[in-house]
Amino acid sequence: MTRIQEVLLKLETSYLGTPYYISGNALYSALARRLSEETKRHLQVSAGMFVPGEHGGFPDAHSQSGGVSFFGTGLRPVERYDDLFVFRDMAQRWLSDTRPRDAHNTHPLQEFSTTAGYAPTRSFGRPPEKRITKRTVSWYVHCYVHLDEPTGQTTFPFPACMFDGLRLGGARNYGFGLMECVETRCVDLSDLAYDRLETADAYQLELLTPYVTASEYPDADDQSIPWWWDGEGDLRTRSSTLARGDDIYPLETVDHGQVVGYAGSDPIQTAKNGLLRVGTHSQLGFGEFRLRPAEDDRVPDRQRTQAAEPTSKPHASPGGHR
Amino acid sequence: MSEPTTPHAEPATDCDTDTDAEPMLAVYRHDVHKLMMRSHTAARDRVAGVRVNEQVPLGADRDAALLSRPRGEPEQTVANHESPFRLSLLTGDTAVNPDQTDGDIERAVRELVQIEDPTEMHDAWLTASLPAQFTESVYYPYTSIKYHTLLAAALLSNYRAGASFEDLCLVVDDAHDDPVSHRTILHTDYASLRLTASPGNSPAASLGPAPARSWADVWSRLPDHPFLADTSRRSRNLDAQLRRIRSWSTALQFIEDFELHAQRKAGGL
Repeated sequence: MTRIQEVLLKLETSYLGTPYYISGNALYSALARRLSEETKRHLQVSAGMFVPGEHGGFPDAHSQSGGVSFFGTGLRPVERYDDLFVFRDMAQRWLSDTRPRDAHNTHPLQEFSTTAGYAPTRSFGRPPEKRITKRTVSWYVHCYVHLDEPTGQTTFPFPACMFDGLRLGGARNYGFGLMECVETRCVDLSDLAYDRLETADAYQLELLTPYVTASEYPDADDQSIPWWWDGEGDLRTRSSTLARGDDIYPLETVDHGQVVGYAGSDPIQTAKNGLLRVGTHSQLGFGEFRLRPAEDDRVPDRQRTQAAEPTSKPHASPGGHR
Repeated sequence: MSEPTTPHAEPATDCDTDTDAEPMLAVYRHDVHKLMMRSHTAARDRVAGVRVNEQVPLGADRDAALLSRPRGEPEQTVANHESPFRLSLLTGDTAVNPDQTDGDIERAVRELVQIEDPTEMHDAWLTASLPAQFTESVYYPYTSIKYHTLLAAALLSNYRAGASFEDLCLVVDDAHDDPVSHRTILHTDYASLRLTASPGNSPAASLGPAPARSWADVWSRLPDHPFLADTSRRSRNLDAQLRRIRSWSTALQFIEDFELHAQRKAGGL
């Protein structure tokens, strides 16, 4: 039985950290200050994914259907494995088509003297005849935490107040990156439905956070690429760093966002491992992945296009120039 | 970086259309009515003595549209913006040059459509600033007619060489090299991207089985990115945003806008 605690935070002030997501390291460091020595040794955190507080509806693979206003402003029901990822895909596929989804899903960039950060809200104009002339979209952060062993001193799940007032990212001593906890919820991984994975014949694995292959952090072992990744060509790598206090440790990673095949034999267990993350620094959010049936298309529009026009392939047959 | 230049074939589908102009010129002129701010039905057949607004053969226009807009009846997605001028995803403002007059627009359109050499036409669109001010559709104001046209041309060129959509890949080229005629869909100081069925050894990601708004998906699977995301924070910001955008023409225009903005700030990428 593994229980994880989903947490939705609201960004209250501008953010100046890594642009992709809030790093697990930042979340860990901020939380660790509020925990006992024993508990923080066992604390495992995911990366915090940015979510716009907008209208939307459930994509097809999810246990629920339909949509609600302000879909992104609260946690959504989790009954099936896929439900845990509704907010963890950067393309935020739940965003409604009736609004400019790309404008809602890109961060409002804010220029500071030497760097750029994200504003906590973006305003969209409204026609002057409407009573409210401006509509504001706020940004949220989705993450989850668990303990790899129960500890005597702390109850799990943590109270929501433990996530209130966290300050994450750069310049946090100057008021940047302040978070307010909106909602938390406990999910037992063994209670989830893995039916879509159980019935599939082949799988794909999508890397949601970087996978660390080499780290200069003390006592961190280098990791090879897992044998159960069925590689598709070259994997993009990236150099990164891990900050601990004043020390910066270089990392080599396989960059997130890439997709490989799955060559293992226990997809359900692999899927659970992917939620709890694998490899070096998995405690800090690295090595999170999602397993999908291989015939599943990550782009829902594409499946609809194919269904609507099964013979849409514009083929040319050999012949002369017209 | 050479492309197989198989002469195109006699297409066997019902989406084939004859064009008066050479097809690889007609595709760059197919949406001129949008630059003239007219609907397709009210469009003129000729601008500056040149045949424009022709149907694009092999369904390339429809497929390019599906890369950036949803299928089905369009609905207005931004309540207070009923204008053919594009909204910038970077700034939120209308991407229009405030000093330009209607005469300037018409002159620029005339110059662009009158080019008679297909390769020159492609080069002119890659560097053109006028069509970057217009949307693909008033209903989707963040899309860009400039990149829609370049995508339609790249699809048509590949289809004419015998490829079908599912064979195509997005390829990262060296920005210092010359663009590949009709295949390069973005060519800026820092990035060059191309659609082709034969990527060779260049970093490439498949476009998937059918056209759809799949930009973030394809971009994040590329084995190499053109920006220096290891070292430059500005590039990481751009890369992070590109992983969130789904519409192709919106994303390509965003790269162009981001670079222009960075140059204005004199930082480069």
